[in-house]
Amino acid sequence: MAKSQKTSVGRRGFLKSAAGGAAGAAALVTATPLVEAQTGEARGTAPAGSVPAPTDAQLNREAGNIRPPAAVRTITRPASDVMVQTLRELGVEYAAANPGSSFEAFQESVINYGHPPNVMPEWITALHEESSVTMAHGYAKAEGKPMLAVLHGTIGIQHAAMSIYQAYYDKVPVLMIAGNDPDFIPAHTAIDMAGMVRSFTKWDTEPKTVDEALVALQRAYNEAITPPMGPTLVVLSSEVQKENVPNAKVPTYRPPQFPTIDSTSAKEIAKGLLAAQNPRIAVGRLRTPEGVKRAVELAELVGACTSTAATVGPMSFPQRHPLCGPGADTAYDYTLGLEMPGAQVSITGPELAAIAATRDVTNIKFAGIRTPARGTFAGRAAKTATPVEADAEASLPLIIAEVNRQLTSDQKGRIQERSAKHARANHDAHVTALEQAVLVKKAGWNGSPISTARIYAELWPLIMKEDWCFASPSAFSGSHNNQLWDHNKPYSYLGGQGAGGMGYGAPASVGAALAAKARGRFVVNIQTDGDLNYAPGVLWTAAHHKLPMLSIMHNNRAWHQEYMFVEYMAGVRGRGAERAIIGNTLRDPFINYAKMAETYGMASEGPIHDPEKLSAALERGVASVKRGEPYMIDVITQPR
Amino acid sequence: MKTNTISCWLLAAALALPLATLNGQPKVVPAPTSPVTGNAANGKTLYYDYGCYACHGYNGETGARPFVGAWGHLTTEETFLTFLRGRANVAPIVPSALMPNFGEDALPDKQAKDIYAYIRTFKSTAPDLKNIRTLNAIVDAAKAQK
Repeated sequence: MAKSQKTSVGRRGFLKSAAGGAAGAAALVTATPLVEAQTGEARGTAPAGSVPAPTDAQLNREAGNIRPPAAVRTITRPASDVMVQTLRELGVEYAAANPGSSFEAFQESVINYGHPPNVMPEWITALHEESSVTMAHGYAKAEGKPMLAVLHGTIGIQHAAMSIYQAYYDKVPVLMIAGNDPDFIPAHTAIDMAGMVRSFTKWDTEPKTVDEALVALQRAYNEAITPPMGPTLVVLSSEVQKENVPNAKVPTYRPPQFPTIDSTSAKEIAKGLLAAQNPRIAVGRLRTPEGVKRAVELAELVGACTSTAATVGPMSFPQRHPLCGPGADTAYDYTLGLEMPGAQVSITGPELAAIAATRDVTNIKFAGIRTPARGTFAGRAAKTATPVEADAEASLPLIIAEVNRQLTSDQKGRIQERSAKHARANHDAHVTALEQAVLVKKAGWNGSPISTARIYAELWPLIMKEDWCFASPSAFSGSHNNQLWDHNKPYSYLGGQGAGGMGYGAPASVGAALAAKARGRFVVNIQTDGDLNYAPGVLWTAAHHKLPMLSIMHNNRAWHQEYMFVEYMAGVRGRGAERAIIGNTLRDPFINYAKMAETYGMASEGPIHDPEKLSAALERGVASVKRGEPYMIDVITQPR
Repeated sequence: MKTNTISCWLLAAALALPLATLNGQPKVVPAPTSPVTGNAANGKTLYYDYGCYACHGYNGETGARPFVGAWGHLTTEETFLTFLRGRANVAPIVPSALMPNFGEDALPDKQAKDIYAYIRTFKSTAPDLKNIRTLNAIVDAAKAQK
């Protein structure tokens, strides 16, 4: 790696020299000399122990009222260019950010570096840092890899904090950069900026040199994608970003090592699967689409019926694969758990607990965060093996290789026969379950407001043959996809918020739509109304970047869960429930989401009250997103 | 921003409970024919103001606890009043979205009877399944999968 070529001793020194020169001095149009505004003396007017408010000079610069001093150094290759190249070589497709001066150099490189100018990572304009990080959250769940969220100093990190917390709890790889400009507005900087979110990030660093920064980006990427996955943060000072490094190169990248089972265990598992008369594989949430492929390969190789977590979240076994289901015989004599409990073997990746314990410097001890998020889905075996701590996805190739080595031609015949029986049984079980489900889903079919089941039912025939991704959580709109839809892709359903925090559906869907756009698929967002109102500006991001996202409002005009909590308390206290609407409903006035979307530049229609008008609206919406244009349909719905 | 983990779990659990079933088929109980003494027009306002719709839907057939077709405690005015008064009245350890207790001070008999009168006007809006093209198409598509 080349040494950086420091042509100044930092901005303060640079500004001093600029201000000292006639040209530089003439360039300043503020009453307060800029050099003075940048010094500790100028800041010293604030009371001891408090953070001073921005000076007039600082605010003038932020407002664009000051022309910068004439250049006194020539930048031939900014460090931020090499950072962009580093991210590009890591395969980082997008960088989402709300603009901020602390990463002006990095942003300039992302949009201008190279000939022709850089398009990867593509700069995505966000209207809120919380949206930036949740976009990255949704993208990662769809693709199994990180995109970048760029945050502006202390204020950007704090805006993003809730989203970071959700990504951490959801064990999702999110790569973040926070700009730090120590010589600009004091309130936007800190000695240890990452400390604010250290308790719920997996790893962070603040490199002091360009060399360190390039390595840090690679390590942050690796830490994010290595189990236990999680958000990582690199704080980049503006000076490091702006360094001139004419000979710098991207460091040689070393992919991370994933913890796997050992070869002895792989042999025993292969032996167990092949010796069993009725093996089963319980598949939880794997890391990437590649892991899903390997799980399918193993199940087909040994003729095991499988369970799936595909209706709970991404990266699990295809729900309608012929082997997925209870199978022809539910007396399983060998169960392998992949990121799930299994009766004989459970392979589960490391939890965040050990890492979190060392990073909880503030001793916050978030209550639920230390409990395993995985392995709690339906399908838990009655008797489960002590988990082997290893990454199931990385261990699968070892098991597959052993199965291939041990597999005999006699076994192949039996496996083929067993697989055919499972396929027939699983198909029949699916049809039977569906026939029962539709009898329940038809309730309220012609009612107005429109039933949530009808939304899911009317949409399914329109998308069943398309390449779609359902990115928003479905629990608050009835989870009707569980019974009515087929979740056959690693990204079919992206699951819940992570920490149950609201304000997630739309930005996560935008992130998933970023992934979808380049891959010819589209995103479905069944959007609860309360959730959208946290940061609706993300609709503009979808419109601006022409993202294939179909948003269908579950507009029930209240937070009915919370409404019931208060009603229950009122009942206990004998005070009546008629005032429980206070604080729990979105009435007087109602919100028109079609107009909201239109305001942000998104094609929309509604509000729709008549269920007979729903299907045609959904058809228009699907047609729009297939053209690559986002669309919103405001549907007035039953409460749940 | 608030976090709603518990809410999500509770809701998911509530939604996971289907209508009463018999041999896998929803067991449809005919609408009651017992006498009604309340004022349904008043009851409509009360049904909304008291948040009954939040769990039972605007027509009693959707949501977390639909009752059209599964009338249970709503068979007669008397059983409805008994049910309203007999709910748990101890503060829960964790937030509860279960049916609240409605004491007579909070919901007098007259108003409760008005709500009952309104509830009794509810009829299923669901057509016969054979007439719902969309749902049949979904089942047919599943059958065709091999």
